[in-house]
Amino acid sequence: MSHWMRDDGLTALPGARSCFFFHRRPPVHLGIISALSDLPDLPFEMTEEYVLRCVLMLCCALLSANASNWLYLAKLSSVGSIRDEETCERLRGLIQRQVQICKRSVEVMDAVRRGAQLAIDECQFQFRNRRWNCSTLETMPVFGKIVTQGTREAAFVYAISAASVAFAVTRACSSGELEKCGCDHNVHGVSPEGFQWSGCSDNIAYGVAFSQSFVDVRERSKGQSANRALMNLHNNEAGRKAILSHMRVECKCHGVSGSCEVKTCWKAMPPFRKVGNVIKEKFDGATEVELRKVGTTKVLVPRNSQFKPHTDEDLVYLEPSPDFCVHDPHTPGMLGTVGRQCNRTSKAIDGCELMCCSRGFQTQEVEVVDRCSCKFHWCCYVKCKQCRKMVEMHTCR
Amino acid sequence: MAGAIIENMSTKKLVIVGVTLLLFQAFAFMVGGLIAPSPTTAVHYLATKCVDTTKHRAETKWFMPWGPNQCEKIRNFEEAMAKKIEANNIVFAVHIPLPNKEMSPWFQFMLVILQFDIAFKIHNQIEDGSLATIDVGLAYRDDTVSEWTEMAHSFEQRKLSCNFTTAKTYENEGRYYECDLLPFMEVGSVAHKYYLLNIRLPVNERKKVNVGIGEIKDIRLVSIHQNGGFTKVWFAMKTFLTPSILIIMIWYWRRITLMSRPPVLLEKVILALGISMTFINIPVEWFSVGFNWTWMLLFGDIRQGIFYSMLLSFWIIFCGEHLMDQTERNRFSVYWKQVGPIVFGSFCLFIFDMCERGVQLTNPFYSIWASDVGTELAMAFIIVAGICACLYFLFLCFMVFQVFRNISGKRTSLPAMSKARRLHYEGLIFRFKFLMLVTLTCAAMTVIFFIISQVNEGHWHWGEHTVQVNSAFFTGIYGMWNLYVFAIMFLYAPSHKRYGDEHSSGQCITGDNGGNSGEDIQLTTTITHVDGPTEIYKMTGKEAQE
Repeated sequence: MSHWMRDDGLTALPGARSCFFFHRRPPVHLGIISALSDLPDLPFEMTEEYVLRCVLMLCCALLSANASNWLYLAKLSSVGSIRDEETCERLRGLIQRQVQICKRSVEVMDAVRRGAQLAIDECQFQFRNRRWNCSTLETMPVFGKIVTQGTREAAFVYAISAASVAFAVTRACSSGELEKCGCDHNVHGVSPEGFQWSGCSDNIAYGVAFSQSFVDVRERSKGQSANRALMNLHNNEAGRKAILSHMRVECKCHGVSGSCEVKTCWKAMPPFRKVGNVIKEKFDGATEVELRKVGTTKVLVPRNSQFKPHTDEDLVYLEPSPDFCVHDPHTPGMLGTVGRQCNRTSKAIDGCELMCCSRGFQTQEVEVVDRCSCKFHWCCYVKCKQCRKMVEMHTCR
Repeated sequence: MAGAIIENMSTKKLVIVGVTLLLFQAFAFMVGGLIAPSPTTAVHYLATKCVDTTKHRAETKWFMPWGPNQCEKIRNFEEAMAKKIEANNIVFAVHIPLPNKEMSPWFQFMLVILQFDIAFKIHNQIEDGSLATIDVGLAYRDDTVSEWTEMAHSFEQRKLSCNFTTAKTYENEGRYYECDLLPFMEVGSVAHKYYLLNIRLPVNERKKVNVGIGEIKDIRLVSIHQNGGFTKVWFAMKTFLTPSILIIMIWYWRRITLMSRPPVLLEKVILALGISMTFINIPVEWFSVGFNWTWMLLFGDIRQGIFYSMLLSFWIIFCGEHLMDQTERNRFSVYWKQVGPIVFGSFCLFIFDMCERGVQLTNPFYSIWASDVGTELAMAFIIVAGICACLYFLFLCFMVFQVFRNISGKRTSLPAMSKARRLHYEGLIFRFKFLMLVTLTCAAMTVIFFIISQVNEGHWHWGEHTVQVNSAFFTGIYGMWNLYVFAIMFLYAPSHKRYGDEHSSGQCITGDNGGNSGEDIQLTTTITHVDGPTEIYKMTGKEAQE
């Protein structure tokens, strides 16, 4: 994989991991081998150096608390399961109040971590064809400096991560991993009598509430500029709304002889890919806003007053994005598009013209091993023949 | 004349009775809307993927998704692939209910719906008409430490009807198919505290089992049960209604037996209506709290079916007895044409119900809709029942039309009649119109509330109060039909006014009717008429006239 990476300056970033389209989701032209091997997580060892670095990083995180650093949880595969309160202290990327939440509800943290991973995966899928392809770094902030500015991309990252936590926690509820969810604030309280009397409320309510307390706490803490805090809070909420407003209502009739005399309906969570698509659409139509004082409260209003005001479900951003064309060693995460694959025929952003920022591209004939006439089981078994074919590959200069 | 109570009652008393019934009706709605929780609850479950590491399965091992002794889990199937775990070794485990909860007999029934999350893969698509073969086991226990006891085990087939709404391109890989809900399990009593489902999807390439069902990512279950609170309110209502209907029924029948003539058909039908209402009312469900009677669900269906067919027959016979033409009825056999479809239709539904819920008594995973033959059979039963219902309503409408035509015919000739005859006909017309009005109101209420409960999301917020519309629908409508039966038995019982001079009143009518002997027959067939064979009265009437 390394030959796809630029060798200019990228090595200066230790452990930089570019996540290109073909890297994360191996398509046909890279052969089975890469298809089967998932990305290996870089092993961490609990050395003293690591702990030191951890503490340092925690301090850094506390100082620069305006990025979604908790997404770093997704990278902490070495910690194993987050079981006890002590682990909470060791987690990088959490601010103090998040650590408190972690201690209070340790059982949820595994779900939060899965949520972080889900957010990164979905971001990389949605941005696979764009100049900024949601590459993650092994350092914090996970997405580099792009997210620390009030850009459109930051808006997306905040929205998808808030949504993903709500999603993952809700899922964990349904699989019985969490004991607190459902039955939260129902008529008859938390007691088992409450469940017997009137059942429990939907798990999604708990998921969203947890996301609100855990993700939003950063923006509510001090030391955050008002406009960024407002923007992030708005986008977090918009992300959660993307789930809530796309809940699917499903019904079952079970009256006499299965008639619809008695019908029970429930709301099912949309698949996360759909949530990602919705937020991506909101990203495309995001509104540029600025902070204005209305009375005593500060609100975000569209910069261009002719645009209609954004709704709760729209994404907002404060500053225009950079063009992401050139690698900037001083801006972590700004990897540039050199070496990215592009589509020669497309006129869109994945086309070579736009992707390579008019720098031109190289074309190579590559022999790829494709899988063909495969036999699948519903899980865990694929048997394919190998078909070789020559493919033209275009990469940006 | 000895008419029904309704004719002899003063308007004031009638209004009082009406208002009382309305108050009870409002009370029935309020009990459901304000006290009871929503009728049912749906709980989501996401199956945990367990790995079956045992080499040979001598005895059934149960896999717990969480808690102590939980199984060896995998997060996703990429992990399984990396660990070289085969599809046959994966067990989907679902524990019902979720942690820290207990099931209870008050839930009455539990039905479970199955949903597959199948990701679209361009090389591994769902084949048309593919069947998923499910090896499923259900176990229970009543405390958190003891061993699981098997309750049912079965191999089931479910047809996957999934469609992919976006283009089937490489770009859209990873999106999920939209699949129909699959009926999975139905148990008629929830006698145990904890249930455990273990689901396997065995693959056998040679026998084409579970091949071409796409890439399954997750199994989701939704379990539906009746809310304990609703059950309690419902039982309370039944317990209160049973004696009320029973008492009025006894009172009604005593009144009829007090008369010297044998009861006429309409009176018998009203009694039958009361009996079927009582049959529905008797709260035998109380036993389901103590005993594990899985047939309660089926029994409830049967009771409801009997009541519905009784109510429909009652309407037909009531119309027929008020036709006011010159035909002798008063026999059940006259109505075979109209009652036939009801009996046949409900019989069809009974057979269908036996095929579905009856078989579920032995195999809770059985669904008649799962197989093609079963689906066709079920559809046939339902269509036949539907045709019967249409036929019935055609008959009923025609009869009502006839009655109205006769009424308007009588209207024109009313002024020309003698006073007693006029009163008699006016009484008939009034009784008919009254019942017509009440029935239509009740039916309209049922339909309106049904639509509201279908369209509405189930509860309304009224300031601080939450009104459970669905519960209000059930208790309100149930209360309404009870009050309907109550009112009919009360208002259409023979009036005790001038009980003593039945004979003379009979003479009175027949005496007045003497001239139009053709219409006398009509009078005798209705319950208003006095006892005794017609001829005698005709004769005495004629004598009197002479």
